[in-house]
Amino acid sequence: MGSNRSFALRMVLWSLLRRRSRLLVALTGVTIGATVLLGLVTLCYDIPRQLGREFRSYGANMVFVKDVVGGRLGREDLEAIRRGLSGDSLVGLTPFRYEPVRNNMLPYTAVGTSFADVRLTSPFWQVGGEWPSAPGQILLGADVAEATRIQNGQRMAIDGRNGRQERYEKDFTVVGTVRTGGVEDGLIYMAMADMEEMTREPGLADLAEASLASGGTGLAGLEARVRAAAPSVEPRLVTRVTRSEETVLAKLTWLVYLVTLVVLSLTMICVTTTMMTVVMERRREIGLKKALGAENGRVAREFLAEGLMLGILGGLIGSFCGLLFARLVSYSVFGRGLTPELHLVPITVLASALVTIVASLWPVRKAVDVEPALVLKGE
Amino acid sequence: MFLKMLLGALARQKRKHLMIAFTVGLGVSLATAMLGVMFDVGDKVNQELKSYGANLNVIPKGASMLGEMYQLGGDEGGGPALSELESDFIREDELYKIKMIFWAYNIVDFAPFLTLGVEAGGRQVPLTGTWFDRHLSLPTGDEVDTGMTAMRSWWVLEGRPGDEADPGGVLVGRELADALGLAVGQTLEARAPGGRAATLRVRAVFESGGDDDRGIFAPLPLVQDLAGRPGLVQRVEVSALTTPENELARRAAQNPGSLTRIEWDTWYCTAYISSIAYQIEEILPGVRVKPVLRVAQSEGAILSKTQLMIILLTLLTLLCSSLAISNLVTANIMERSVEIGLLKALGATGLSISLLVLSEILLAAFGGGVAGYLVGLGLAQFIGLSVFGSTVAVKAVVIPIGALMVLAVTLLGSLPALRALLGLRPTEVLHGR
Amino acid sequence: MLNPEATFILDIEDISKIYGPIKALQNVSLAVRPGEWLAIMGPSGSGKTTLMNIIGCLDSPSSGRVTLDGLSLDSLSSGELTAIRRESIGLIFQQFHLISYLTALENVMVAQYYHSLVDEREALEALENVGLGDRAKHLPRQLSGGEQQRVCIARALINHPKLLLADEPTGNLDETNEALVMDILRSLHRQGSTIIVVTHAPEVAAHAERTVVLEHGRVARDTRSPLLQAKA
Repeated sequence: MGSNRSFALRMVLWSLLRRRSRLLVALTGVTIGATVLLGLVTLCYDIPRQLGREFRSYGANMVFVKDVVGGRLGREDLEAIRRGLSGDSLVGLTPFRYEPVRNNMLPYTAVGTSFADVRLTSPFWQVGGEWPSAPGQILLGADVAEATRIQNGQRMAIDGRNGRQERYEKDFTVVGTVRTGGVEDGLIYMAMADMEEMTREPGLADLAEASLASGGTGLAGLEARVRAAAPSVEPRLVTRVTRSEETVLAKLTWLVYLVTLVVLSLTMICVTTTMMTVVMERRREIGLKKALGAENGRVAREFLAEGLMLGILGGLIGSFCGLLFARLVSYSVFGRGLTPELHLVPITVLASALVTIVASLWPVRKAVDVEPALVLKGE
Repeated sequence: MFLKMLLGALARQKRKHLMIAFTVGLGVSLATAMLGVMFDVGDKVNQELKSYGANLNVIPKGASMLGEMYQLGGDEGGGPALSELESDFIREDELYKIKMIFWAYNIVDFAPFLTLGVEAGGRQVPLTGTWFDRHLSLPTGDEVDTGMTAMRSWWVLEGRPGDEADPGGVLVGRELADALGLAVGQTLEARAPGGRAATLRVRAVFESGGDDDRGIFAPLPLVQDLAGRPGLVQRVEVSALTTPENELARRAAQNPGSLTRIEWDTWYCTAYISSIAYQIEEILPGVRVKPVLRVAQSEGAILSKTQLMIILLTLLTLLCSSLAISNLVTANIMERSVEIGLLKALGATGLSISLLVLSEILLAAFGGGVAGYLVGLGLAQFIGLSVFGSTVAVKAVVIPIGALMVLAVTLLGSLPALRALLGLRPTEVLHGR
Repeated sequence: MLNPEATFILDIEDISKIYGPIKALQNVSLAVRPGEWLAIMGPSGSGKTTLMNIIGCLDSPSSGRVTLDGLSLDSLSSGELTAIRRESIGLIFQQFHLISYLTALENVMVAQYYHSLVDEREALEALENVGLGDRAKHLPRQLSGGEQQRVCIARALINHPKLLLADEPTGNLDETNEALVMDILRSLHRQGSTIIVVTHAPEVAAHAERTVVLEHGRVARDTRSPLLQAKA
């Protein structure tokens, strides 16, 4: 029996290796199918996540304030919030501290913040000039710059009173203007350290904004974690951002899924027709084997083995191409690589084998049902 | 004779040709659907992104946005005092002109706002007048429905939405309603600084997740009366469909004067946010139009990413369907080696055989292509309807692209197989394959 | 199998085969003794092929009885017919029908494989018997028509069939190869094989000891070769 089995293997192998052009056709078909399958499914996994990150350009989607009215967040609060949010989804966490100040007797609002974090949480800021990088440098809102006629590089004196009603005054260098078309245009931004030094009141923020690449239940979970980590902090969702993101992202994701579904099913049908053509060509061979006394099941099993090998080979090549393709799309669209979902490879190989087998069994079944005599005589 | 052979082959080898027609049809339907979606996805996603609210703020030239800062920092609220200067306002009766700019069709919604600090329930409260859902008849004969309701899609309402026909009906923010113990259907008195007063009835309590939750939104005439500023508004929010910014648009936004004549025309006739802003400034004298970058820039980024993604997917799809079609054609030609060998034995030249086989395949492909195009249209509509709830406008350019693709793919796909077959010696094929 | 009256290896009684409106065979009866060499002749459309298909268990008659080696083929399923074909019949085709991607040796082994067990030495011996020992590793396309036909014969013989059924075995061959093939058949006949050759070539039929001529689906003549008759 062992020699019989090895002969069967020999037949299948030779059938694949000595009919090279036919093998190429069938293999191309299977490889296309596998490429599309793995490429699209990988993208399906990845695109909603990547798009979610893109949506962070709308700015913060969670805001933190102290749970008492007028209360301020201390340094330990900020650290607790950061602890609660730590993870992949945290794009940035930015504290803001608002102080009423004066310049030339006119009232303004100065904001202490962390510029490195603002750039993460509010990517929509358009800064003319430089971002502050050294102590004593500030950004003016576009409207403030226009009203005061202070240009980049000029100095600006700011004075005010702190919580203990002590007067303070400090000279700053304006290094840039910020334009957003919103409230930011009317504010003066400085580094938190400068604000602390100027007011002689350390580490207090009115609110902190977080940009989180997460939606719906994910945000609710993070909210709960922050509540646990910092009980005196009140997290609030920026519904304008979260709600719109949910609806738009859901539609975009649905679009990708639907496109994938359509492309995938049509590609699989294409692969099936190709396999059918390749197998139908061999009706005469099937007839011969039957004439030599082969049972239907035996002939079918041989084709099954061939299909299995084709499917595995095509599936492997296609997996490679598919991952490459998904990577390409991810890089060129989102500028980020993607972690290959390697557990999808065996699934792809399996699916390819399945499609190949199903695609070849149907014509084989039809061929073995035909009386062998007809096959032998007919051209 | 050629025609007879062709028709005979088509009629007798129905199954094989059906297979080619079927595969080509699949490929074409896929291409049509994807191309259709690709050309339209920008508009569709743009429309969806409108749920983020206005991307343009129209304010009087003299005013700045400085007033808004008072809403921040846990202020008790109340809103800024109203300016005495008429130049700090925009005339309400001119607003319809916004729908008459070059890119009028790209203006999705707009709504004016007038905010007044009033005393209500023993507190200072910002009272904002707006259009909830205003019907406008333009001089051009167009009818337009616009207003704030569509521009605050993220609001959660408890009660009925704002209605222009209910002059005393207001929407109260959740925080304020909780603080004052107000519920839907109750009334409250609002007293303006000038001494005028009005009775407001709560139509709904809303939750915006922002500072609006501490204020009241009322029909515009009511607030104008209270403020003693009839026919005037402070600012207008405009929601427009825009094209993602490019280098030209950025230069134009800095200074439209720096463009050459041709560049200027291109810029003016493209729906960049800056050109729409420019056109509104042109048509409404005495206003400044500021793009809301948070919305405008994000829109651009998401739009261009989505489009790029769909384009790449479409390219992949086209590539795959091309390969699949040419693959099948190759398989089909190989299968017919006996027939071709016979024809050669009968003295047919390589050229005539190629012509015969190619015209057969092309005819089948054409039939499949037409059917596939129709199916593809259906698929595109299916995607459009199920994702965006609206049909996809399939551009006419899809037809030549699809037709060219089928032609090129079928021809190119047949060539290697044909060459291989024509190289065969007839005896080899006829005897003992 | 243990039928003592099995003096005929093949006994066809009054069979008809009807394809729609066409009566391919009408009331044909034919009995073949073991070791007999029979030629079936007739113009095309006379029912030769249909008769051959029925004898080769590739098809069943619409009516009538067929007994092969004492076993009635009536009301057998296609699976059972396949089993009988495998055990009892060796087929030789006009088109040779070798599997293109297998060598001559492997083509012979295919028949072993479907019959019972492959045995490479036995297959090689079979090829040597038809004079192709040195061509065993060649693919069909590297063989001449005559060589391919001899591979086909080797394959038909490998399982020691009770009945050798040849359909125009020399139809695609030149004279030299035809002579070669007929020599092989003659030596097989001498060794006691039962051979049925379907042909329209009288010179091929002339080698047989008995000739059945079909016309319009009926047996028109059933003659014994005078030469062989004299011998008998």
